[in-house]
Amino acid sequence: MSIYKPQNFKIIKIIEETPNIKTFTLKPLDSDKFSFKTGQFIELTVYGVGEAPFTPSSSPYKTDTMDVTIMRVGRMTEFLHSMKEGEIVGIRGPYGKGYPVESFVGKEVLIVGGGVGLAPLRSLLFTLIEKISDFKKIVLCYGARTPSDIVYKYLFPEWYKIKGLEILRSVDRCQPGEWDETVGVVTCLLDKIKIDVENSVAVVCGPPIMMKFTTLKLIDMKFKPNQIYLSMERNMSCGLGKCGHCQIGSYFICKDGPVFSWEQLKDIPEPFE
Amino acid sequence: MEKIINYSDLLSVFKNLNNFIIIYHNFDQIYKKIINPQEIQNLALLNIRCIHPPKLFFFKVKDILTSFTSVEKILLLDVKFCDLKAIRILDNIFIGEEYVDEKYKIYKENTLIISSDCINPQLSCFCSIVGGRPYVEKGDGSDLNISFVDENNLILEAFTQKGEEFLKENFNEFEEPTKNDYLKRNSVRVVSERKIYEFNKEYIKEDKKNKHYLTLKNTYELESIWEKESEKCVQCGGCNFICPSCYCFLIREASKDYKDQHRDKVWDVCHFTGYSRVAGGANPRKYKYQRFRNRYQCKFVYRYENFNMYACSGCGRCIEVCPGKIDMRKVIRSLVLAKGEEVLV
Repeated sequence: MSIYKPQNFKIIKIIEETPNIKTFTLKPLDSDKFSFKTGQFIELTVYGVGEAPFTPSSSPYKTDTMDVTIMRVGRMTEFLHSMKEGEIVGIRGPYGKGYPVESFVGKEVLIVGGGVGLAPLRSLLFTLIEKISDFKKIVLCYGARTPSDIVYKYLFPEWYKIKGLEILRSVDRCQPGEWDETVGVVTCLLDKIKIDVENSVAVVCGPPIMMKFTTLKLIDMKFKPNQIYLSMERNMSCGLGKCGHCQIGSYFICKDGPVFSWEQLKDIPEPFE
Repeated sequence: MEKIINYSDLLSVFKNLNNFIIIYHNFDQIYKKIINPQEIQNLALLNIRCIHPPKLFFFKVKDILTSFTSVEKILLLDVKFCDLKAIRILDNIFIGEEYVDEKYKIYKENTLIISSDCINPQLSCFCSIVGGRPYVEKGDGSDLNISFVDENNLILEAFTQKGEEFLKENFNEFEEPTKNDYLKRNSVRVVSERKIYEFNKEYIKEDKKNKHYLTLKNTYELESIWEKESEKCVQCGGCNFICPSCYCFLIREASKDYKDQHRDKVWDVCHFTGYSRVAGGANPRKYKYQRFRNRYQCKFVYRYENFNMYACSGCGRCIEVCPGKIDMRKVIRSLVLAKGEEVLV
């Protein structure tokens, strides 16, 4: 079988997260399960339209279906957003290296997400929650543009109840009376948290500008380069380290990433450009 | 196994080969596909490499990704060292990694590569400057090599099992070369290598200690030089297409529906604006100089870090194809000079 050929998945559920973000629950047509490691990505095909990379947002422990949270930004996602439950899409993967969860054991895990960047982090969060006693604590700092841009609104009430998981949220701007949590960019949440930096790891995912300033802030907080993990994003196309599109320095994001430590990226000029 | 043979005998053996589709080139340096070997007029062994890169036969301009067709058995004749090196880069990308591109692998497996020494290098040749040489040895990637004792007498050397079998089957009655033949052959090689140094002495020194890598690695931030050097680049993509080691491709989705999956790949060009653009319009290499710089960094820094060899074989095709007359050697010289390093012999 060709490595470029997708498997068919049926869309079994669509959740409208925000006006331009939807979560699609997908079920493989020809097999019982689909396994991936949290942080790995898949190539999703809308037949006849195009293929694009996304990171699953569901738990890797759940293998009968997979969730993918997708923002409508381009031609392919525009088309995908018009699709209905029951329609078929193609999936290749999983590709790349995921989060090194085993190395987080015994540590404090700081998760910083921006906008739809919470999607891969939700998968990570599910993974960590599964064995929450393995970690000293988990802190989630999440920022969105406005309160209505927050994804997974329905999950936060459950998450607030979990012992060992602290959650802080911010929005860039809001209407008066609409929001009683922090207003400001996500990095300002980092000033409010209590964390034992030396015994922590930080995981960041969001738009490039947010990743850049969060990384700078974490360095400021004395995180070492090998304690910071970033989910990088380029136009991964083949997913196999061949077609060349997602190269960053000598790395192919699809094959060597998409999760990189800052140690790996710090010497690459302009990694967030 | 090694054999010595004269040109007309070699030609007549090739005219009688029947179990291959032969790809060879004439004096016009353009690959021809011959189904009836009797049609072969001459073997232009004294030429430099072809105008087109041999990647055409393994990494096709356009290839369907979702289905296989039967693959023909090919004899690719007269490949020079530079192109063998480029094929090694492609091997690393397509079959050397965790995921194997089955089509590339099958094309390669069904090809017998016969290389030949390059005894008439041209002004645009710079193989020796980037860690190559104008002749072929075992391990360079060919199954069989043709080298020159003089313009009429040739040594055939098999390097692989496939090559051994081919030599045994078709050239068994010929004699083995003498010690003297090898000595003569070696002096032909030395002359050719010297020519290349001569052609390139105004540009850069021979790269014995991989100094170009070390220097070029630190030229990323020389933005004004990259801008100046890329001024004449019209982003036509000629250098990418003609480069024997450029491997980027674009996947085109064209399925009718999920039951009838259809997609193909076509060569892509890192000089094109859309190459690294992501959904939503952001582009990590927005400006021409960034894309121009990226190609040099890819060839001399990034792939060197991956595979311990430059992804440039010094074939000089990009110099000849460029409508802006951009010469890779001059660009490297400007960069090296800007870093305050000595480049001239």
